[in-house]
Amino acid sequence: MRNTSEVFFAPQEECEGECESSRVTDSGSATLTHSHTHTLTLWHLGNVAFQTMWRVSRIRALQVGMWTGLLCAASLMPVRAVADELDELPLDSWKQLREVERYQLQIAEKYWREQNWKTAAAECEKFLELYEKSTGAPFAQLKWSLAQVKLRKQNTAIKEGFQTVIDYWPESPQAIAAAYYIGRTQKEIGRTKEAKTTLKGVVAKHPQHLVAVYALNDMIDLATIENDVPTRVELWKKLTFEIKRTRDSNTPCVHASQQLAAQMFREGAFDDAVKSLATTYNAVQLPAQVNAYVRSPISELTGQAETKAKGDKLADQAIAWLKQATPADQSTPESKLVARQILFGIADLIALARRDDQVPPAYEAIVKAFTTDDEALGRLAVWYKSKTNFEKARESYRRYADKNEGLGQVAYSYREQQNWALAVQTYQQLLGQDAEHKVRWKSELAAAHRGAHKWPEAIAVYEELVKDDIATPGRWRWEVASTHRDAGQLKEAIGHFRQCENFPENYKQMAWCHRQLKQPAEAITLYNQISSDKASASWSLLQIAYTREEAGQSEPAIQAFQQVCKKFPKDQHASTAHAHLQQKYKISVTLGGANEE
Amino acid sequence: MIKFLSQLPRRLGQLTGGYAVLWPLAMLAWSTDEWLPTWLLAIVFSASLPLGVEWLRLIRTRYGNDRKAQALVGSAIYPFWWQLIVFWSDLLGLSDLRSGMASVGTLGLFLIGLAWLVWGLERASRRIELTRIDEALRNGPRLHSSPASSGPTVDSAGRRRRIWNPLDPLAWYYGRSSRKLKQSTSALVTYGIVFWLAALMLSQLRGCQRIYELPAGGGVQKTVAQTVKIQKVIRKKFVVNPLSAIKFAVPPIDEVKLQLQEVTAHQYMIGYGEGTGAGFAGGTQRGKVRLIRFEYDGGDWNLNFGIGGDGNMLLEYGLLTQQKVAEKTESIRIAHLASFPREKSPPVIFLTGQGSLSVSNSDVKLLREYLQDKHGMVFASSGSRHFHNQFLALMNRVLPDVRPVPVPVDDSIHRVPFLIPSFPYVVPHGGKEPLGWSTDGRWLVYYHPGDISDAWADGHSGVAPEIYNGCFQLGANVINYGHVEYSKWLQAKAPGTGTGK
Repeated sequence: MRNTSEVFFAPQEECEGECESSRVTDSGSATLTHSHTHTLTLWHLGNVAFQTMWRVSRIRALQVGMWTGLLCAASLMPVRAVADELDELPLDSWKQLREVERYQLQIAEKYWREQNWKTAAAECEKFLELYEKSTGAPFAQLKWSLAQVKLRKQNTAIKEGFQTVIDYWPESPQAIAAAYYIGRTQKEIGRTKEAKTTLKGVVAKHPQHLVAVYALNDMIDLATIENDVPTRVELWKKLTFEIKRTRDSNTPCVHASQQLAAQMFREGAFDDAVKSLATTYNAVQLPAQVNAYVRSPISELTGQAETKAKGDKLADQAIAWLKQATPADQSTPESKLVARQILFGIADLIALARRDDQVPPAYEAIVKAFTTDDEALGRLAVWYKSKTNFEKARESYRRYADKNEGLGQVAYSYREQQNWALAVQTYQQLLGQDAEHKVRWKSELAAAHRGAHKWPEAIAVYEELVKDDIATPGRWRWEVASTHRDAGQLKEAIGHFRQCENFPENYKQMAWCHRQLKQPAEAITLYNQISSDKASASWSLLQIAYTREEAGQSEPAIQAFQQVCKKFPKDQHASTAHAHLQQKYKISVTLGGANEE
Repeated sequence: MIKFLSQLPRRLGQLTGGYAVLWPLAMLAWSTDEWLPTWLLAIVFSASLPLGVEWLRLIRTRYGNDRKAQALVGSAIYPFWWQLIVFWSDLLGLSDLRSGMASVGTLGLFLIGLAWLVWGLERASRRIELTRIDEALRNGPRLHSSPASSGPTVDSAGRRRRIWNPLDPLAWYYGRSSRKLKQSTSALVTYGIVFWLAALMLSQLRGCQRIYELPAGGGVQKTVAQTVKIQKVIRKKFVVNPLSAIKFAVPPIDEVKLQLQEVTAHQYMIGYGEGTGAGFAGGTQRGKVRLIRFEYDGGDWNLNFGIGGDGNMLLEYGLLTQQKVAEKTESIRIAHLASFPREKSPPVIFLTGQGSLSVSNSDVKLLREYLQDKHGMVFASSGSRHFHNQFLALMNRVLPDVRPVPVPVDDSIHRVPFLIPSFPYVVPHGGKEPLGWSTDGRWLVYYHPGDISDAWADGHSGVAPEIYNGCFQLGANVINYGHVEYSKWLQAKAPGTGTGK
């Protein structure tokens, strides 16, 4: 059975027609080929994270922020044209190689995978010297050039690498890839004008090749740098409507269709935006995607007086479109769920369009239509909270079918208002009536006590949790220690941190406590122990310096700061130590210094 | 005053008059361009010291009790001695003292002016009051004709009129009450505004145009060949049993006396063009390579500035490239960029610091104009992580359409004249690779994120010789790159090339 909730809220990449590999399956999970996952993994993770959070806290404001953030990130983040497919040797060419040639290429490949670019380049060079006439030679030359790019020798890569592939093996498939790589490398080193010319040439010369897709994508990136919106729209249109979607070209095309839709929504061209999304998503998925991409423009446009009319019109169009997309026949559970999600979408859009008087009725309609719907009530409560109407929000929570969950949300809303007494009272009520989730409510109760600065009560609850929650006693021991620390009971805090097992974090906290207690020697001993952890070594040395400085031991402190620079010249803590020495002690001889290959 | 002047010794008066003419000229020469030699400027400015002392001595002997005369002379001497300190601190490379004196001295000038204003105002208003009392005593009944009103005052002829004189506390616009306070307040506000406007005008005064000229000459764009130095190898002597199995009969090899230093020494000049000597096409005989840095508000623009700081780099640049270099490093405000003509602007300007970087919108515009229209280049170095962020934010404002990119290892800026195989830095404040802002294949900005100026300074921050030498070579490359690009631009614009506009 399709999980319509996921389908609705998760914009997923899919193409119509030939790209079957990325189609969303009926089980609700997307089967993506490896090349498709590069860009939209973040997107997908964002959605999953969002949905998880949604179910837990039902904070609509967070949802709106999340969507807006994700959409902004997606619009700003260019699709990274991985172009892995271009630097792979086709199977046919591989078959034609002799065993020795294959062996040499495998050696180069091994170093390539290890990111040992220098050796990989040397192995490619060896291949070229030994087997100049081989059919693998252009591939070796291409790989050598790409290794030069990795070594930040982009000029060498262009002049002596990619160009050589084009000059010596003009008919090889690698020559086409090399032409594209020249443009991409020019873009990477800031030669935008040349890059534009090269990439345009690639698109014109090989319009049906995969390089054209990547070149168009890079051109979009260049237009983004120059803030050239018309060019971006033109290029998005090309990728969305003109490029034939295959396994390799799908990701940039999907992304382009999404970006184009977002831009069209922003311009108020609702139908064009829907058309753009329709190239990627089928009829079942489309309402979810329209809802996802129209949110941000509606929120932005209605937020400003001069664009409010435009935003209102867009909201009306979107709501009308979603209404007409609602299944007429809601006899099956699936169609019922789709209809429910569409109603949620409409209610959300009403809220985003700032039509406050219409928001409660919209959610109430869902509650009425689908009997007591906790999700709808939760969304309504979050909306009330966003309007600082906490009483109304609590009214909604109290109507929950799951009474304990509703009461938990009521208690949390008291915490949000810093009404600690009522929060504690409500959590205690919950503990009495919901023994099954004792650990959860106890931890919330302790947090409420901490918020109210009632340290002994909080510690007592955490101590109970240490005993109750046998699975994760370390977590609660850490909380006991942290509460002692927050309460200023540093000696007790040290004792409890010592019992924790999350080295070096517990040692860092213990050292901090010793510093507050003016016990520099103990702190330094702990920092020295922390330095056995490689990742924390430079940090701990810097902390030793600060500790000595606090103790008035200027000379050893200076030496310690200098040691940070000397021992870890490439570390960011060296920067802190260097600046501190210069600014506080007016010492310019900070030691350190390094060369970056 | 006339009496005072007439009693002065004639010779001192003549000397002072002559100096009063010379001094502004020297100030103009110093603040605009060095068209007068420094030694001459030093003589002119230093002459204020004996002259001032002579005046003080004279006042003490002749007008020992006349505090007014003492104050007058003291006030007159103040600006001369103030500028003398500023001049010498600049000459000696004491940039902290110079900038400190510049601001403290301005405050002093303001206070002296204010003191004279209070004195003058008090004196004038008292005189008016006394005159009015005298007049009233003469005319009797009209003494209090309009005592507390701000309305018309009755004059001697019996006419009612409004007083407009601001020195008169009874002026109508001072109102009915607290007239003296209002008079003082308005005088202070007016003086403050006038002083501020005058200071603003003087700071914006560009005077004669500043000029930057490249040193004449030529050179090629090639990497300098590494000179090989032969190290003397001390052979170890082994004391072993002569009957052992070790064979000491080393077969003889040809005695080859390699003159490696001569063989590997580079035979070409560093620069650009076909002139003689190391220099640049489009340069002039009096032109020199100068290391100029930007002064800015908000932070420490003078980090490692002058002698013992970037002065070392300038010196090293001269040694490394054999090009003519200035005697000392300089600093300018961004606003001063406008005073450089289009084809006589500095090809490279250095910028560094540790603190904040406050640049106005008009300065941002000037900087953009300098980089794009005047073919300039900024060579920046970060002295702290905070400065790194500040600089990136500034460049975002200056060049919003250009994105910074890591400068390739094999770029000409890292190869000519010195090969920089690995990027040297003192400390990674802003990453471990240099960033560049490029347009039309030219680097407009080269940003070193690792405090390069610390490596140039005396003591070299205690870094290893290969690192500070690398930093000197990198600095030389960037400075040379800026000059070469500028020279190419000048050549392209020269009449007859067909590309000049």
